[in-house]
Amino acid sequence: MGFYAVYSRELLLLRKKIGRMGYVFSSVISPFIYLFAFGYGLGNRIEITGGYLPFLAGGIIGVTVMINAFQQTASSISAGKFYYHVFQSLVLSPVRSGSVIAGIIAAGMVRALFFGSLIFIMAQLVFQVNGSILLFLFGALLGSFCFSALGVIVGLLVRHPDDIAFVNNFLIMPMTFFGGSFFPVQSLPTWMQYMVGLFPIGALNHLLRGQQWDFEMWLAASLLLGLGIVFFAVGVYLYRQYSE
Amino acid sequence: MKEYDPAIAVQTQSLVKKYHGQAVLRGVSLSIPRGGIFGLLGPNGAGKTTLLKTLAGLVRPTSGTLAIFGQEVKGPDPAMRRLVGLIPQDNNLERELSVEEALLVYGRLFGLKRVKDTVAKTMERFSLMDIRHKQVRTLSGGMMRRVLIARTLLADPELILLDEPTVGLDPDVRQSIWDIMQSLQEAGKTLVFTTHYMEEAERLCDHIAILQQGTLFFSNTKEQLQARIGMEVRDLENLFIELARNGGSSDGVLCRL
Repeated sequence: MGFYAVYSRELLLLRKKIGRMGYVFSSVISPFIYLFAFGYGLGNRIEITGGYLPFLAGGIIGVTVMINAFQQTASSISAGKFYYHVFQSLVLSPVRSGSVIAGIIAAGMVRALFFGSLIFIMAQLVFQVNGSILLFLFGALLGSFCFSALGVIVGLLVRHPDDIAFVNNFLIMPMTFFGGSFFPVQSLPTWMQYMVGLFPIGALNHLLRGQQWDFEMWLAASLLLGLGIVFFAVGVYLYRQYSE
Repeated sequence: MKEYDPAIAVQTQSLVKKYHGQAVLRGVSLSIPRGGIFGLLGPNGAGKTTLLKTLAGLVRPTSGTLAIFGQEVKGPDPAMRRLVGLIPQDNNLERELSVEEALLVYGRLFGLKRVKDTVAKTMERFSLMDIRHKQVRTLSGGMMRRVLIARTLLADPELILLDEPTVGLDPDVRQSIWDIMQSLQEAGKTLVFTTHYMEEAERLCDHIAILQQGTLFFSNTKEQLQARIGMEVRDLENLFIELARNGGSSDGVLCRL
């Protein structure tokens, strides 16, 4: 009950944002440009089994899911804390900590799935990339859970609105460009491959590009689920410690 | 385990709150009786809002104890959240929502049954029906304050905390908020509010506490305060000016408290 109250509140606020002119357009224009520019600009120069465009499409969908899930929860909490104080409504409510965090994460997952789906459809229609809907849904669900939960932690931890930009520059941006979204990580130096192997975006990309269920697919799914659960637990702990 | 009296609405013992090593509350021990209007007075920066937020559960004290209606508060407790309602000084309503949506969201967070009916009744009670479709961001200060009060009272809390409820409002809006506060007291609720207006304290409070630089100098009935400092309560204005000038030293009027 408490979970649904928080989830529907977050969704209502999200719906108001999406209803604003230009919000959806500005959210999908960057992934579309990446897909167009990298796809046509580099497509002929990078040799990948199955073609570069399907590889890139999987990566761009992964980045879209990651950024939207992370931004939704991190911004919702930090803006609610610093600018409008609306986060107080949740803290002062009798909803249990676990339900509050679960509701916020679920709303982040909805936003990520919405924008991820738009890119998925666009890739199919505009670039004739064929992808499995089931794998997309499975990967996007697990990935958005993981990154929404990470956004909750960041939103609760930041002490200043500018700190979100710091996290974007030092965590989200490196994951976007070195996590195997635009080119295979095998192109990177060996030491860097080990490092980026720890990025959850790599696991998400692996799921989104998967063709068949094998051990690596299960490993990627387990990694996203496991990290998501750990992030969720840390988020609940931090929420319980909340103090202005 | 320490026993607390359930007949006392709020009991704090040596409450300390520090920010980056700086104490904002310095060992506040306070007892607020059930069913009255309690005024928390003090100059700017005295720690009034921090104390109010601590009672509401928004601020975790660095040390000390807090009990609400005889129950010690040790962390987030859903049952306690239902007992306490905070009406903040700053608008913390969701600006993108309409008045009705903001109230419905809050009602659902509190798990109210028949939430739409309850919200409709509350909007009627606070004369908000005409503006129910208006976006919160477009409301005037007075309207906003009425919506904030209505929202908090939706959940029917027993202890109502109001942070400077009438600051910056027109006299007629101020009067309507005083009327609401008095009707809540008549309904048996306990109200704690901070104010700068001495007229307000004199008119509404039956108990008064004076806070200066995080330290509680006085907490008793209005009549006691009058007897102790030997002047009319309306002369509290002078007391405040002296407090501000002395920076909370024990010189001057404070040594009489």
